[in-house]
Amino acid sequence: MRLTEQAIVQAKAVGATADEVPEMQLAETKYNRAKGSMADESYRNARMRAEQAELDARLAEAKVLTKKSEEQLNVLNTRIVRLRKQLQLGEAQ
Amino acid sequence: MSLKSNALGILLLAGCASLYGCAGQHSEAALQQAGVDFQKVKEDSNVLRIAPKDVIRAGESLARADRLSTYWGSGADVVHYAYLSQRYSEIAREHTNQALNEERAAKLELERQRLQLALRESKLLSVQQQGKWLEEQIEALATTQTDRGLVMTLGDVLFDTGQAELKNSANRVVLKIVQFLQLNPKRVVRIEGYTDSTGGKQENLKLSRDRAQSVADVLVDLGIDEKRIQVEGYGDQFPVDANASERGRAQNRRVEIVFSDEKGQLGAAR
Repeated sequence: MRLTEQAIVQAKAVGATADEVPEMQLAETKYNRAKGSMADESYRNARMRAEQAELDARLAEAKVLTKKSEEQLNVLNTRIVRLRKQLQLGEAQ
Repeated sequence: MSLKSNALGILLLAGCASLYGCAGQHSEAALQQAGVDFQKVKEDSNVLRIAPKDVIRAGESLARADRLSTYWGSGADVVHYAYLSQRYSEIAREHTNQALNEERAAKLELERQRLQLALRESKLLSVQQQGKWLEEQIEALATTQTDRGLVMTLGDVLFDTGQAELKNSANRVVLKIVQFLQLNPKRVVRIEGYTDSTGGKQENLKLSRDRAQSVADVLVDLGIDEKRIQVEGYGDQFPVDANASERGRAQNRRVEIVFSDEKGQLGAAR
């Protein structure tokens, strides 16, 4: 449960939200159910839900980071295209 | 790692047919899908290089699911560990994509810095060239300061013999005058035409005036207000050299541009 909570906190820290990343929604739902199972003393269910929620959150985090790295690539590519264009204009003058 | 996974793959394939009844259809499908996903990341050299820990965990969870699938009534556990295995495979893939993107970004960043440097250099070069051009312009305009004020002489070579039209070779100097007048909006000019002593007085007066006027026309065409320009023709008066030699006559054929001071005060005409 502690690991799951950490994973969710970490995913939120990089900007994963339930609205944008479906895995985050899964993680939060399962984590809440795991807490419910704990309260019912259904420990096996609690453990399985918590374990799944942990990996859902880790996947959500990884997806957000991959998306950010893609955006970074796009920004760089745009800048490079612009620089090349300006250099060509400079040569033409 | 590789050996273990291969063995696992074979085990999976061999086990599937007989497992049908053990863990149920649902868990069977989950196990199979997790196996396929694991196989894909395991065969990707980038994933193995970048996210080996995630691949190992995917394999461990898959092995666990596989082992559990041989027990009766273990369907939920099989599905659970198959799910975890799939998640680890997906996480391995994401971590790999992220790292590959970052590696590419690092290369692109170097490229970007190189291009930026090149662009700065080219801009600096053009600014230096412009600076040099302005300097030349000032030198060209640093004409003789006489009692008539600042005087710039346009030589004989800018006109064809007997013709009043300014030649294209005068473009450069004319542009400099225009720019100078634009930078000094209060200054006015008097354009004075002169000839040598060859030919009749009246013809020379007319030619000198026409030449002065054609310089004035070009300045007006280039945007200088005509109110700022006076035009005079002096014919063969006020020679700067003796008309006896060809060289002296060439010196005397000229157009002089007399600039006012900064307040627009122009010396009296001759």
